[in-house]
Amino acid sequence: MRQKGVSYAKYGYIFCLPFVIAFAVFSLYPTLYTAIIGFTDMKGVIPKPIQFLDNPFQNFKDLLFDNASFKKSLYNTGLIWIINFIPQIVLALLLTAWFTNRRLNIKGQGTFKVLLYMPNIITAGTIAVLFSALFAYPMGPVNSFYELVGISESPINFLQDKATARGLVGFIQFWMWYGNTMIILIAGVMGINPTLFEAATIDGASDVQTFFRVTLPILKPILLYVLITSMIGGLQMFDIPQLFLAGGPDNATQTASVFIYNQAFRGTYMYNRAAAASMIMFIIAVVLSLILFYFMRDRDAAELKKAEKKNRKAAKAAAREV
Amino acid sequence: MKRILTLTTIIVLLASMLAACSSGNNGTNNGNSSTGNSSTNTPSTTDNSSSSGNSSSGEKITINLWSFTDEIPNMTTKYLELNPDLNVEFNTTIIATTDGAYQPALDQALAAGGKDAPDIYAAEAAFVLKYSQGDASDYAANYADLGLTDDMVKDAGIAQYTVDIGSKEGQLKALGYQATGGAFIYRRSLAQDTFGTDDPAVIKNEIGPGWDKFFEAAAKLKEKGYGIVSGDGDIWHAFENSSDKGWVVDGKLYIDPKREDFLDKAKLLKDNGYHNDTEDWTESWYADMSGTGSQPIFGFFGPAWLINYVMNGQVKDTHGDWAIAESPEGFFWGGTWLLANQSVLKDEAKKQAVADFIEWVTLDSSDTGLQYFWANGTMKEGEQGTKDSVASSVVMDKSNGEVDLLGGQNMFDVFVPANANATGKNLTQYDESINLIWRDQVREYTAGNKSREQALADFKAQVKDQLGIESE
Repeated sequence: MRQKGVSYAKYGYIFCLPFVIAFAVFSLYPTLYTAIIGFTDMKGVIPKPIQFLDNPFQNFKDLLFDNASFKKSLYNTGLIWIINFIPQIVLALLLTAWFTNRRLNIKGQGTFKVLLYMPNIITAGTIAVLFSALFAYPMGPVNSFYELVGISESPINFLQDKATARGLVGFIQFWMWYGNTMIILIAGVMGINPTLFEAATIDGASDVQTFFRVTLPILKPILLYVLITSMIGGLQMFDIPQLFLAGGPDNATQTASVFIYNQAFRGTYMYNRAAAASMIMFIIAVVLSLILFYFMRDRDAAELKKAEKKNRKAAKAAAREV
Repeated sequence: MKRILTLTTIIVLLASMLAACSSGNNGTNNGNSSTGNSSTNTPSTTDNSSSSGNSSSGEKITINLWSFTDEIPNMTTKYLELNPDLNVEFNTTIIATTDGAYQPALDQALAAGGKDAPDIYAAEAAFVLKYSQGDASDYAANYADLGLTDDMVKDAGIAQYTVDIGSKEGQLKALGYQATGGAFIYRRSLAQDTFGTDDPAVIKNEIGPGWDKFFEAAAKLKEKGYGIVSGDGDIWHAFENSSDKGWVVDGKLYIDPKREDFLDKAKLLKDNGYHNDTEDWTESWYADMSGTGSQPIFGFFGPAWLINYVMNGQVKDTHGDWAIAESPEGFFWGGTWLLANQSVLKDEAKKQAVADFIEWVTLDSSDTGLQYFWANGTMKEGEQGTKDSVASSVVMDKSNGEVDLLGGQNMFDVFVPANANATGKNLTQYDESINLIWRDQVREYTAGNKSREQALADFKAQVKDQLGIESE
């Protein structure tokens, strides 16, 4: 056999192999398995031979139409995510603008970045314990402070109040993650060609104008990344609601993940319903991501493409006519 | 290509091995686990000799012991000390019940079987029913098959409720060493101030029997500026375990009238300020044990372990100012049950070793049985340890239950009758999960966030949504 040169393509495949195998064993297989048990009658502690249900979509039907707790958990997830994400992105953008501003040239940036990132390093378990101690009832630091300042006379059971509980969970998520978002955004801004900023300065653009007209549009892909990762992270929000309040009070902080966990690993061990709920969450994540992609698409590029297509069509038509 | 194939298989094998290891050893601290070391494993020996006293030259019998505290592992040390020529070694695995890690790990180990499967495993009151009567009861060996007969149970005078909980259709599968019948533990000084005496015989009639008298006492205490209990969780255990039926009857959710009554009594406590509105196991609950809460608290409901293991470290200056009297309503709270794996029956030598140990822990009422040491706090030689109420009334009768914390009162005088009052017939294997939902809704109602009807309706709906159990 005669060979023309050497093909290096196979090395690419070999180097990919470890990942592909790890992915297949630890991610792909569990995901497919989950998808399948959603259609079965798998429940209970002791493994029994499982069977597909007569109506394969029974679990999904029960969850979507006959389970107020699941709907409430979806609502909680969305609400807590919004409480957490809006202040998070605003603060992260503001800090990014300050840290990357050449005129301000803030000193000790490294220290600040480390300090702001710090909450993310502390484990969720520690933070949950910290906050339940802070807002303890009837005796706790916050209650003592309220009495000292004279805001309230009798102790307040903060964590019994749904709005406060949701707000606190949202706040913890915000506080833990704004540093992370900020670092990603700063990295994005650093990647922008400095000549663009210089040009803007020479043209007499103010800081605010530069930020909104130059930085933000170029940052769009990074923003999309932040939005999508944060959205998926928000949909999976589990550790803080579970460890801090165990989904209470009155299920006000029971997120979808906490709900799924309770279905599968507590009480009656309904693996099938938990799997069905997981698949519903998966579909929701896909749909929301697609919507985000659609809204964040590069409109100019899309229009350009459209125009090009039109031109080509017109050219073809013209050619045919001729 | 071949090489790639081999490499791939090796990686996959390694990966699956890692996965297997991590699931088996997750969170355990078994010192001498022999995972992956099959050379030391001899297939079931034909050594039929009974293990006691017969130090044969054969291999040691390894008993895999699973527990959620170090209590039972410590017992094995004592057991081996007492029987130095025994040909047995214990391979212990301890996983705490916090975060619900123990049950899933135990379930997997039981399902996997093999030589690393648990031979003896412990279960706590909150979930013992699952292993003795419920979904996982098929794994447990009958005590009768181990040679531990009902007559032995009778002779040791084991509290009936522990037998009820450990039996499935009349077959005993699990027994505990503790008896956790509960009493009312109250402050002597506050009793003096309010009722003019701290004598348990008088206080017993002041706070009970029945809840009406209890609330009369609460009103009297309130006049003096004292709360009768720390939070609604304190009275809950007395309500839970005195009800006639459990949460689930014939597969449907059932709210026993006595348990429903808890809703109103909790509200009564809250509205009248009879308690400090704490939740059990929180800082403010502990604070009430040393009388440093917002108002001094008269007492707590609890079994012997609450006094010796929890309050002991929390009472601080009030040490010795406590006494116990009979609860307005008989109940029990907590406890540990021992079960043996069905698979030990296959190997005669192992079966005998397992049976001997379980007998020593749960049924031996002699002075060298575990329960005697346990009741008198003599687990460690020459050191006064913690005293606890045990399952065998024979042992209790000959043990000394005087405790300093209670001002020298002999606690067994109250706990022996209390153990007889406790019933184990109103438990279900879903209690832990259902109680969580119930207590949450009761708090919503007492806090005034919901009407009574709404709280009950939400409770039923949540049990249906989260556990798939319909209500009647």
